[in-house]
Amino acid sequence: MKALNQVVDTLSRVPGVVVAMVVGATDGLIVETSAVIGGAGGADPRKPTAALAAYLYSKVTRASDAARLGTPAFMRLEAERGHIFVVGARDVVLVTIVTTDANLGRVRLEMMNAARADS
Amino acid sequence: MSDPTVAENWVAAPLTRLKEDARLISGVLLYPSGRAVGQFGFSNAADVMSICALTSAINASARELGRQLDGNPFYEMHHAGAERQVFMARASAGAQEFLFVGVFDRESSFGVVEIYFAEFQKALERLHPEKQPKGAGPSGDFEGELNRSLDALFGPIGKR
Repeated sequence: MKALNQVVDTLSRVPGVVVAMVVGATDGLIVETSAVIGGAGGADPRKPTAALAAYLYSKVTRASDAARLGTPAFMRLEAERGHIFVVGARDVVLVTIVTTDANLGRVRLEMMNAARADS
Repeated sequence: MSDPTVAENWVAAPLTRLKEDARLISGVLLYPSGRAVGQFGFSNAADVMSICALTSAINASARELGRQLDGNPFYEMHHAGAERQVFMARASAGAQEFLFVGVFDRESSFGVVEIYFAEFQKALERLHPEKQPKGAGPSGDFEGELNRSLDALFGPIGKR
C-alpha cells in the first residue's frame, strides 16, 4: 500500500488541485493533508471540508446502495468557484478541492489510481 | 425529534441548530456546576439530572487529569461506542463557561459534530446576554441548583 503522505503528495502536485486530503471515512477526521495552495489569508477550509465531504460520501453510498448501483466509484461536486472530488478507499476517503480551470480528467484519474493503490 | 427545552431562552436557537446540523440524538448544555441550561432528546428529568451530575464530575476529573498528564486541562472528550458516540466539550460565552454533552450515531460523525459545535460556540458568544443570568455561578447549593434548573426544563415535580 502506498504511504498516505505519498498519496497526498502525488495528488497535490496535479495542476489545479488546491488541497488533497486523506480522511477517515466514518469519523471525517483528517488523516493526512497537503498544504493549501494559494491559501494565504481566510479561514482554513480543510477541517470542515474533510468532515462534510466524508459525511456526504457516506450518504451518497447509501443512495447508491438504495438504487442498487453498488459502491460509488467517484463523487464530484461542482460549485461556482471549483470542485470537490471524493473517492472511497476502504476505511478512508480521498478528498481534493480543485479549481475550475483544472484538468478534471487528470485529477480524477490520479485519484482513482491512488484509491486503487490504497485498497 | 423534540425541540430543545431551555431554562434560558437565548440558548434555544443555537441548541436547535446544533441538534439539526450535527444530527445529534440528544444533548444537554449546562453550567460547570451541574445546573442545566437546555436539553433536547430527553423526556425524563431524572435522566437529565444524572447526566448533569456526571458531566460536571467528568469535566472536573478530565481537567485535572489533563493538568497532571499534559500540564493543560483537557476540555474535549469523545467516546465511540459500538452504536452510539458521546461528545463532551466546554463552550464559553464572555466570561461564562458552559459544558455540552451530546450523543450521536452513524447518521453523523465526530468530524461533523466538531464542525457544528464550533459554530454553536460562536453563536453562544454572539447571543450571550450582556448581563449575567442570576445565579449563573455556583452557589454551593448543588442539589438546589440542579432541581431549580430541572423545574425550568420539565416543570415542577408533580407536574412533570
